[in-house]
Formats: sequence, C-alpha cells, structure tokens
Amino acid sequence: MAMAAPKIPPVIALTDLRKRFGLGDAEHSVIDGINLTIKKGEFIAIMGPSGCGKTTLLNILGLLDSDIEGGYELNGVSVSSMSRRRQARIRSQQIGFVFQSFNLIPRLSVIENVALPLTYKGLGKVRRLERASDMLRTFHLGEREYYRPHQLSGGQTQRVAIARALVNEPSIILADEPTGNLDSQASHIIMEELSDLHTRGNTIIMVTHNPRLTTYASRVITMIDGTIQKDTKKRAKKTHKKVVT
Amino acid sequence: MLGITIGVASITAIYALSGGASQIVSNQVDSLGGNIAVVRPGIPAGAGIGQITTLSGSREFASSTLTNNDLATIQQIEGVEAVAPLALLSGAVSGSSPAASGTAIIATTPELAVVNQLELRDGQFLDPAIRLPAAVIGTQLSIDIFGTDQSIGKTVQLRGTGFTVIGILERTNTPINYNGADFDRSVLIEIEDAALISSTSPQLQQINIRSSSVETLGSVIVETNKALLKNHLGEADFVVLSGNEIAEPTSQLFSIIAGVTAAIAAISLLVGGIGVMNIMLVNVSERTREIGIRKAVGASNGDIVWQFLIESLALSVGGGIAGYLVGYGSAFAVSLLLPFDAIFTLEIAGLALGVSLVVGVLFGLYPAYRAARKDPINALRQYD
Repeated sequence: MAMAAPKIPPVIALTDLRKRFGLGDAEHSVIDGINLTIKKGEFIAIMGPSGCGKTTLLNILGLLDSDIEGGYELNGVSVSSMSRRRQARIRSQQIGFVFQSFNLIPRLSVIENVALPLTYKGLGKVRRLERASDMLRTFHLGEREYYRPHQLSGGQTQRVAIARALVNEPSIILADEPTGNLDSQASHIIMEELSDLHTRGNTIIMVTHNPRLTTYASRVITMIDGTIQKDTKKRAKKTHKKVVT
Repeated sequence: MLGITIGVASITAIYALSGGASQIVSNQVDSLGGNIAVVRPGIPAGAGIGQITTLSGSREFASSTLTNNDLATIQQIEGVEAVAPLALLSGAVSGSSPAASGTAIIATTPELAVVNQLELRDGQFLDPAIRLPAAVIGTQLSIDIFGTDQSIGKTVQLRGTGFTVIGILERTNTPINYNGADFDRSVLIEIEDAALISSTSPQLQQINIRSSSVETLGSVIVETNKALLKNHLGEADFVVLSGNEIAEPTSQLFSIIAGVTAAIAAISLLVGGIGVMNIMLVNVSERTREIGIRKAVGASNGDIVWQFLIESLALSVGGGIAGYLVGYGSAFAVSLLLPFDAIFTLEIAGLALGVSLVVGVLFGLYPAYRAARKDPINALRQYD
C-alpha cells in the first residue's frame, strides 16, 4: 500500500483577517475580511491605492502587528497562540524586512547594520561580522563595509537593507515599496536582486504602487478598501534584458 | 553622570576618612603590644550603640560599679604585669593662667606609666614616696597654663588646691584614645590625693590591665571576669575588653557619623540617578526609530530592555569609577590637614561600585521598559 505524501502547510494562511482602528463612531476597518493562502516560493506583488491596507497587511504578515481578528497561520502554526518572544524569534529567523525608507541605523556602519539581525540570533561578534561581510560581497558592497549609511547612494543603501534582510537566511522576504525612493536604474537593480532571490526559492511578498514592477511577480493581488479585489497568478519574469552599468 | 560622580566621590571620601579615624584607637591598642585589656563599669559590650552615649564625659558623675577592691583583686591575678585605675575628675585647672574648661584631671596610680607606656619629657612620674600633693601634666597643658614646657616645681591649682608639678609627659599626639582623655592636655594625680579635691571617693571609669605577655592575655581576661563577678556577687555590671573591642564604641560612633553623612551624600546620588534617567529617556525618545528597526529584525522586548539597561549601567558605573577616584583624591588631600590618614579598603571600592550599579539599574529600568514597550510600527514611522 502506497504511503500518502505528507501534506505541506502553506507558508501563510489568512482566514477572514480583520484589522480595525479607532473606537466607536471613529472605528474603521483597514483590513476587512481577507482570505489568502501563500505557498512557498511565490513572488507576490500587492497593489492598490494609498490607504487600501497594503502596508498594514504586510505588517501583520511580518508579525509586527498582532492585534488582529480572524485567523493567521504561519507555516501551519496559529500566530495568536504565539508569545511575543516567540514572534520576535520568528521575525529573527524566518522573516526578512525591506522598507521603502531603508531603515538602516545611521550611527552604525554598513557591516554592523547587516550583522544586526544575527545579534538577536545569539551569534558571537566575529561570526556575525564574517557572515555580514560575506553577504555584502554578494551584493557587490564589499568595499563599502565600514561606510556609514549616509555615505551611500539610494540604490546602495537599499541593497544594504536587502543584505540585512537576507543575512539570517529567512524563508519569507517582506518588501514595502522597496523601490519607492529610488530612480529607475537603481529600482531595476533592486528588482533583479529580489527576482534572483525568488528563483532561489524564497517567498517574496512585495507591496508596490508601480504596475511595471508586477512583471517580476508570480502572483499579483490588488487590494481596495481593505479587501482583495483581484488575485492574478502569472508566470514570473525570469530575466530582464536591460543592462545596467 | 556628574551627579553620580559627586555622590560616589562624597561617599568614598566619607568612608575613607571615617575608616581612618576609627583606626586611630585600634592602632593605639596594637602599638601598646597587644597585651592590654581594660575593665569598664556598666553593661557588657554588645549592647551596641547605647555604649557610645556612655563614653567618658557622662560617666564622670555617674557612680561607677568598679571599686578599689576590684583593683586589688585584679592585681592578684596570675599573669597580670601591671594594673592602673583611671578616675576622671573635672574641675578648674590653672597655673599662671587658667586651662581650658573640661581639662581632664586623671586620678590614677604610678603603674599607669607601665600599663600605658607613658614616657616623660621631664621630671618623674607619680610616686607614693612623695608626700606632698604632686601632679604630672601633659606638655601642651604645661604650655597652655605656664607658657612653657619647663614647669617642674611650679604649682598647678586643681579646684583651688595646689599640686606641685613633678613631671611633664612626652607628647602622645593621640587626642582620641581609649582612655577617654587626651594625655597631652591632662593632669595626672595619685588616686589617694583625689580626696584633696573631691569630697567623695573617686569613681573608677576604667581599669587598664597589662598582662605579662600576649599569650597570657586570654587567661587574664577570663580570670578577671571570674574574680570580678565574684566581687560583684554575680552581677555582671562591668565589662572586660581587649584588642579591637576597646576601640569598638569609637568605631561605632564613627560608623554612625559616617553613615549619617553618607546618607546626606546619597541625595546627590539621587539627583545623579534622576539625571541618568533623563538622559536615557531622551535617548529612548531620539532612538525610537532604531528601536522599531531592531524589533523588526528580531529583537524581543527583553533584548531592548537589556540594551538600554546596559547603556544606563555604563553611564552610572563610568560616573561611579570617576567618583571613586575623585573621592579618594579628595580624601587624601583632606587627610593632610587631619591627624589621621584616609584608609583604602576593598569594602569602599565595593560600596562605590555597588552604589553605581544600583543607581544604574534603578534609574535605567524605567527608560528601558519604556523603550521595550514601544510599538514597532509607530516606532518605524518616526521622522518619516
């Protein structure tokens, strides 16, 4: 008798997810009953007008906001049953954040910024700096290790932020408008990096305003007023012809 | 940080100096060879602070439980080399000019010179063979009342009775000592002559015993206790002290003074602590975004608390170490003007470090807790 293949739970499963702000008359739902399942290795682009709840959804997915209603299962485990400490550990080990405004710590050097997530994983200083240095070299920033963030260009800063998000080898990358503050050339480089990560099996969830960036995604979700209006699956763009110097 | 530096500096200086002061008496006892015991009237040692209030001054008019019979008994004990009673009398002392009020008149026996190893600058010590009322005076007293330290043969008036000066004591420079009187400014007379100036028999405030060797001191103390207990019909209304016990009331007195002064200095620590808390609160407020970033990359609330607590500890311990150094510097500078030196002990170093740590933790906890409680999403929006 053949054994049944073990069922792999989706990376993310949302059931009737709701998020409300305000009280009484001023109360309004930013997320209003979302059902969503995300499988391992998907590259999802979340589109929608300002205020539709994209960033709030991303914060919830990244366990930065746990004051929610409805179900959220991460790798088959309900988030509501997790302690704050456990959530912090998951952020440290499984999730990498990339922000629009980079969010590097200005008083730390580039390498210290990249090594920061490893601190909370309990690695020793030498080990942390070695891994951060390796990661920076893969992003061609090996010569900028001891620069301060303000000494880098926008594109370089965002690459440092991506290096920081990846240094812990997370399975999920959450990117909030990663190219929002960059020119088209730098945007292209960043998107190529994300696309490369996707081909290596990472799950990427990206919030964007820019419809052109959805060409990199394998699935595009359009949100309006806290609900999913459209959910389109397509083949992700494998390569990009544009040559960047 | 400056507040903590000042606070720790004050506490260090106070304890270094009071420690030095407390050691004066112990050092005197040690310098006498370590074979000295004293018998004092009243409740046994261990009654603690109460004993401080019954130092020599207030004992002068009290009825002592020690008697001449006790003195004679102790003299019979084996291993006792010399015994001398001390009866502190008060009264007007004058020579060519009057002495300062409160000048001690000590009625004793010639053996005091042996027990306390008193040295004479000039003349001779008390001697029963001398029939006229005789006195031995301290060098400083001689200068104070006769204008010279060469006052042999002159007459010193004690409560109006003339005593011939037969000896001048060598300077001891020990204003604080276990005899309750400064020998440099005292008059010593024979205990029998005390009747000339006092209608009642003198009250023995203390009996000093010198044993023949350090080894025999223990048995002498035991035997003295037994014999006196018998004399006093089983009533333990006396106390036999040796070594550090003799200095104990003085040490306790200094400890209390140091404690009270240090408590006042602690106010500057409080101010320093509040300063640290303010710096840390500003720090937390300015670094709100950093807190958000750290949480986003995996820091737990506990990690954030530790981070800010360690920073506040670094501030306060840094201030504490600076304060410790400044405190010792000033204690040694001040001790140049005092008759004793500041002492260096590990306890004071430990106290300085401990106080800084406690201040750092106490005043760092609230800012650290506030930092940890920050909502990561709002924190990330700062300056957006």
